[in-house]
Amino acid sequence: MQQQLKFFNIKWIPLVVFILFGSAVYAQQTVTGTVSSQPDGLPLPGANILVKGTTIGATTDMDGKYSIEVEDGTAILIFSYVGFTPQEVAVGDQTVIDVVLIEDASQLSEIVVVGYGARRKSDVTGAVSSVKADELTAFPVLDAEQALQGRAAGVVVQSNNGGEPGAPIKINIRGNTSINASSEPLIVVDGFVGASMPQAGDIESLQVLKDASATAIYGSRGSNGVVLVTTKKGRAGKLTVELNSTYAVQSTANSLDLLNANDFADYQNQIRTNQGNTTPYVQGEYDTDWQDEIYRAGNTSNNQLSFSGGSEKVNYYASGTYFQQDGILVNSGYERVSFLSNIDAQVTDKLKIGLNLTGRLSKKDGVTTQSDGSVTVGGDDVVSLAMRFAPDKGIYNSDGSFSTNDQVGDEVDNPYAVATQRDDDTETEDFRANFYANYEIIEGLTFKTTFGLSTSNEFRGIYMPRTLAVTAGRGLDGRAIMSEDKSKNILSENYLTYQKEIGKGNLTLLAGYSYQKSQNKGFYSEGTGTISDSFSYYGLWTATNLINGQSGDIYTNETEIQSQFGRVNFDYDDKYLITATVRRDGASNFAENEKYAIFPSAAIGWKMSNEDFLSNSETISNLKLRASYGVTGNPSIGAYESLASLASIYASSNGVTVPAITPNQPSNPDLKWESSYQTNVGLDLGLFNGKVSLSVDYYNIDTKDLIMVDRGLPWYLGFYNDEILKNVGEVNNKGFEISINSRNIVKDDFSWTTDLVFSRNKNTVETLINGDDYFQNGAPSYFSVSNTALLREGEEVGLFYGYDYAGVYQGGAFPEGTATIAGGVAGDPLFLDLDESGDISNDDRKVIGNPNPDFTWGITNTFSYKNFDLNIFFQGSQGGEIFNMTNVQLNNGDANTTYDYYNNAWTPTNTNTDQPRAGNNSFREISSRFVEDGSYVRLKNIAIGYTFPSDLIEDLGVQSLKLSVSAQNLLTFTNYSGLDPEVNYFGAAGNNNTASNTVRGFDFGNYPTVRSFSFSLSAKF
Amino acid sequence: MNSYKILLLLMGLSIMGCSDLEEEPVGLLSPDGFFSTTQDIQTAVDGSLTHAINEEIWGRKLSIALLLRSDMVDLMPTQARRVEMNMHTISGDNEMVYDPWTRIYLGIAAANNAIAGAENVNLEDEIKNPVTAQAYFARAFYYFHLVRLFGDIPYIDTPVSDIDAASSLTLTPESQVYDNIIADLQFAKTWLPDTQPSRAIPSRAAASSYLALVYLTRAGTSDMTNFQLAFDEAKEVIDNKGDYNLDLDPDFQTLFNANKIDNSLEPIFALDYNSVEAPDNGYDQTSPMTGVRGDFGWSVAVPTMAVYDSFEDGDYRKNVSFQTEATINETLVDYNNFDISGHEHAVNRPYIAKYSRYPGDFARGDKRATSHNYSMLRYAEVLLIAAEAGVEIGSPLALGYLNEVRSRARNGGESTSGGYTEVTIPSSSVPADLTSITVEDVLEERRIELAFEGKRWYDIKRRQLGDQVFGASGYEGLKPDWNSSEDYDTPIPQDEIDRNPNLGGL
Repeated sequence: MQQQLKFFNIKWIPLVVFILFGSAVYAQQTVTGTVSSQPDGLPLPGANILVKGTTIGATTDMDGKYSIEVEDGTAILIFSYVGFTPQEVAVGDQTVIDVVLIEDASQLSEIVVVGYGARRKSDVTGAVSSVKADELTAFPVLDAEQALQGRAAGVVVQSNNGGEPGAPIKINIRGNTSINASSEPLIVVDGFVGASMPQAGDIESLQVLKDASATAIYGSRGSNGVVLVTTKKGRAGKLTVELNSTYAVQSTANSLDLLNANDFADYQNQIRTNQGNTTPYVQGEYDTDWQDEIYRAGNTSNNQLSFSGGSEKVNYYASGTYFQQDGILVNSGYERVSFLSNIDAQVTDKLKIGLNLTGRLSKKDGVTTQSDGSVTVGGDDVVSLAMRFAPDKGIYNSDGSFSTNDQVGDEVDNPYAVATQRDDDTETEDFRANFYANYEIIEGLTFKTTFGLSTSNEFRGIYMPRTLAVTAGRGLDGRAIMSEDKSKNILSENYLTYQKEIGKGNLTLLAGYSYQKSQNKGFYSEGTGTISDSFSYYGLWTATNLINGQSGDIYTNETEIQSQFGRVNFDYDDKYLITATVRRDGASNFAENEKYAIFPSAAIGWKMSNEDFLSNSETISNLKLRASYGVTGNPSIGAYESLASLASIYASSNGVTVPAITPNQPSNPDLKWESSYQTNVGLDLGLFNGKVSLSVDYYNIDTKDLIMVDRGLPWYLGFYNDEILKNVGEVNNKGFEISINSRNIVKDDFSWTTDLVFSRNKNTVETLINGDDYFQNGAPSYFSVSNTALLREGEEVGLFYGYDYAGVYQGGAFPEGTATIAGGVAGDPLFLDLDESGDISNDDRKVIGNPNPDFTWGITNTFSYKNFDLNIFFQGSQGGEIFNMTNVQLNNGDANTTYDYYNNAWTPTNTNTDQPRAGNNSFREISSRFVEDGSYVRLKNIAIGYTFPSDLIEDLGVQSLKLSVSAQNLLTFTNYSGLDPEVNYFGAAGNNNTASNTVRGFDFGNYPTVRSFSFSLSAKF
Repeated sequence: MNSYKILLLLMGLSIMGCSDLEEEPVGLLSPDGFFSTTQDIQTAVDGSLTHAINEEIWGRKLSIALLLRSDMVDLMPTQARRVEMNMHTISGDNEMVYDPWTRIYLGIAAANNAIAGAENVNLEDEIKNPVTAQAYFARAFYYFHLVRLFGDIPYIDTPVSDIDAASSLTLTPESQVYDNIIADLQFAKTWLPDTQPSRAIPSRAAASSYLALVYLTRAGTSDMTNFQLAFDEAKEVIDNKGDYNLDLDPDFQTLFNANKIDNSLEPIFALDYNSVEAPDNGYDQTSPMTGVRGDFGWSVAVPTMAVYDSFEDGDYRKNVSFQTEATINETLVDYNNFDISGHEHAVNRPYIAKYSRYPGDFARGDKRATSHNYSMLRYAEVLLIAAEAGVEIGSPLALGYLNEVRSRARNGGESTSGGYTEVTIPSSSVPADLTSITVEDVLEERRIELAFEGKRWYDIKRRQLGDQVFGASGYEGLKPDWNSSEDYDTPIPQDEIDRNPNLGGL
């Protein structure tokens, strides 16, 4: 009984033991003693003592002391504590039994939190990856999400924008299950559904639920996977103060080798000659390395101080963290302060309550990079500006104003000016409080209720002053933007859990009800013509030209979800496991005829290693087979999106602008969520007494009813919005995942462990609306190209689409089957003339590349020798291609370029080359000559730490002290010629759901990935 | 112990109260619950009428299409869509068909929204119908364009809720569409006030005048019943011109001067242009489309020399209708030197002056987004409708109505020397009063009086003049592709037939 309860939910153990203790009325012999722990030898408060075969038990007090009454000397006592190997001691005639419990890391990880409960890892039937707390804090990260990269099989983590301070981190579990809806997983923190990720240092454990058996309990929000986070709690005992402090220095990992002023002038003159322009280029007086001007040494510091402890009945954990970063791009930075506190109280034998509070404030000082190109021909994008801007210009003109690029290409402000003059501040405030009460109604039956609130606020202000002549000068007189988005969330959940042993079987039932209400409101306002630059964006109110708000710029949305859910776990003889879950979600944002949805799942497991034929195996210590099938959803419909609506349009009457409406869209009563049907088959294998453990999972996810835009309604219906949503699309993800954990050497002085994760996912588009190709644009809008990324039925998602480059035209007749874009002068690029028309037009475009990697992987080796430990973490991606949009711009002639292109471009004397001549006739063409292999292997982290021996620091009142030095992104092995192979440019549409699902592998204006050296101190008092 | 249990359960239950999950949007403009006052109906009406000012209707696409399809205006550039209009070879994917089609139906849906919405306004008919009647007028105004352009069309007069049914509609025959238009205009005439604060707000005069034009159109070449109806209706307007506050403007130039037109008594229904560069092309480009290259114009729609020559010298309307001077590269030149701009489309001919001479305030370069409230129907046309129908039914009043229009043209007025140099044109004896009258006389008077106002193509169609005016002796010379058996009707856009194959007819 104790075993099962323990595995059920760790925090209920004291409660249960209390109850058991209270019922022990027939004791005859008293045993006392102290329980202490190894390696530190300290008393262990809160440890459990149980008389074997009975329900009699006790727990240790603050000093690790206990007292228990047993019937007679034949009794056997079981001593246990979470994270320690349990011990059995025969009482005999002893009246004092002191026990030392030995810490067992593998024990700790054996409990996994699942939705609305916890399970022993060996009893889990779904596909769940656990990430350990120390992996999350192995190197300094702003967000715990970042630390997940390469740590969990099937989980792909990528920054939305390289090393930008505060850039959102995108997590993808088992591929994208949608096209137009979000593919981000649901994050659940201490039971709060849809929470934001806590600080890495506050996380006790993190589980990634991947298959439907694990996620279907979250129903309509489960199809992208679920990340379950448990934060740290206090332990009974005296106050422990912990300080974790990290300081890192950072630099850009790479920069492009671009022409200096002299070579640039020569290059421009070559172009002019090639284009028949006889006016020579007038070289400026400067020689500016723009990349040098915008990059600097950055730094990050992170300081966390936590207090934890507790009495027998109350425990607490409180932590505060301050994170500060100066980005490597001048004027970019980020600052955040956060706190978290958890208090749990055993109010009575049967009732436990707790409160989780967390809050954080952050401020991001932004510099635009990876812009969509819609503002002044990309003139806001500092990184791409630094690459394209003429190097013979200085930062300032002779009159002190900032220089602009007024001789070559579109006129833009210089990158240093844009970086330093433009204000772009984002301030966020997040608070969350979550209360719970847990009550044992009768033995085995508990009721838990939780009530939580969260609020989140984001303010953003952008100001472009007059000093940016092109962007905001010359009659615009400053451009100011302010926006605010505010949301709040209320969550109430109530559920019953019943647990009972039935012969050899063990049954757990869960039934619950959940209600969640979310509100979201905000505004966006923009204007030009401010009175003075000194007000920054607060001068918006003085703007002489307020730009009219569009529909959606001012909004208020409310969504309600109410759900019933249930789960049955039945384990028989510790060999056969069955799990079945169901959730019924009703959501206000679902359309009128589809308000409710049911999401079922079922799974089975077979612990083969517990069968007679394997139970004595020396080699196989654990073997479990798992299989599951289930349905999960993606709510994918915005509030009010299925309702009929009117649009507001311009009208005037008698010379005065008047309000006017016109029908916008009809109601769409049958619009529903997207559904994923997932099969998972897995195997867990433990070898050599657990020294090596291996998990392999295969999955197949069919996502149906994808919401797509149907533009096929007749016009005469008279609706202003011609984009009617329909449930028609279908995508498939299949793949497999391997994770291996091997304790290669475990000795007293020396140990070596290896953790490896490997994931392969294939994402295929099955059905699109009317079977038509669906195009996206991975180029900035001012490139004036389109359809660079393709979705096509039967193909992988996000293929590159363009001309097929066939080398350089050497003059004379075109080689068979090829042609040039315009004219045809020796040195121009040749492309395959697919429609055999004799020239190159849109009809000659085809699939020219595939950004999807064949597989991704991560491998961590940890060595410890005496007080030293060494952690080496490699991470990689194999087989994906990158479209180098940066080179499209840099090889176009109207910008600076790379030495690689300058030195290799075709000239009449350099004809044996695959690079076309400078200033050729193909204007920013999208072709296979810009497609490169994006495979890489990266030394993500290498860390060496030293833990001071306790006798050395005891006198200082320090319990433990560890110093470490680490380096991130120290080495990258790749053939990719651009700055960094981890690219994530979203193209002309910017970063919306559709782009983030379908526009992949494009590189343009990425905030560079940073290389950093970190120094950390961790001390416990 | 029990008290805890109860407390906990209560806590849980108190929060879980069941929701019906109905959405109650606040920020969203929902048709449910929008309508409660007459002002709400007016807002919906304004949403309907404003579509007409869009570039896709009178801002350019439809207005220029009508000019090019007539025998009065030639095309300078070579874009296929415009060539098709000028040469009567209109294909199913012509954007100058497609855009007006979609935009007119937006206007109709908005009118239907107003009419249906008014039913939810809990007020007496006497209070709300005068506003709702504007929506009936707007719907008739739009369908009247559609039926003259396309003939049989899909006809919808309620807000669409059943998408599937509405998506498979069949065509409604032309005559039934006319019946519906007449019913709408009669409702409008019944309830609208005699006059409105602005001529861009439909009045009883507008409803009645349009009824006259609809009857005249429906009469075709020989339907005496409709000629009688047209005559009676037009005569009613003329007889009530005092109540309706209508009259001919003494100065013909005023009608094409954005700064003066709003005070004129002549417009009966106009579009409200407001020199705002509204989103989604909610503004006009008529001035540059007809204007001289190098002088804020694009030289797109330019009359032939024969059209200019067809106006009698001394007819003040010739001064007002044609731009014979322009300022190009800061040089004042006459039309024999319009090509000094060097532009490939520049041509040495008088250009249309009605839009580019006095566009008023404009919000965008090239005199786009003007404040010129273009007349859709003006009092002179009512006189000409009465004259034409009168001749057909043998009314002795016909001649007088026609001469009233001719006589005003003799007034002269405050105009220019052909460009922007303001001069007073003295009165003249041209055109002289007629002493007898034929249908051809009235049609010719319409051609001169209403030149370049988007009327001529509809006249050609209703009077079946195509074979005559597009022959070798026509003002634009022979139009070799003209085929009277199929070119009077505009083809329904192919894209629309693809969306609903039931519109494909045979």
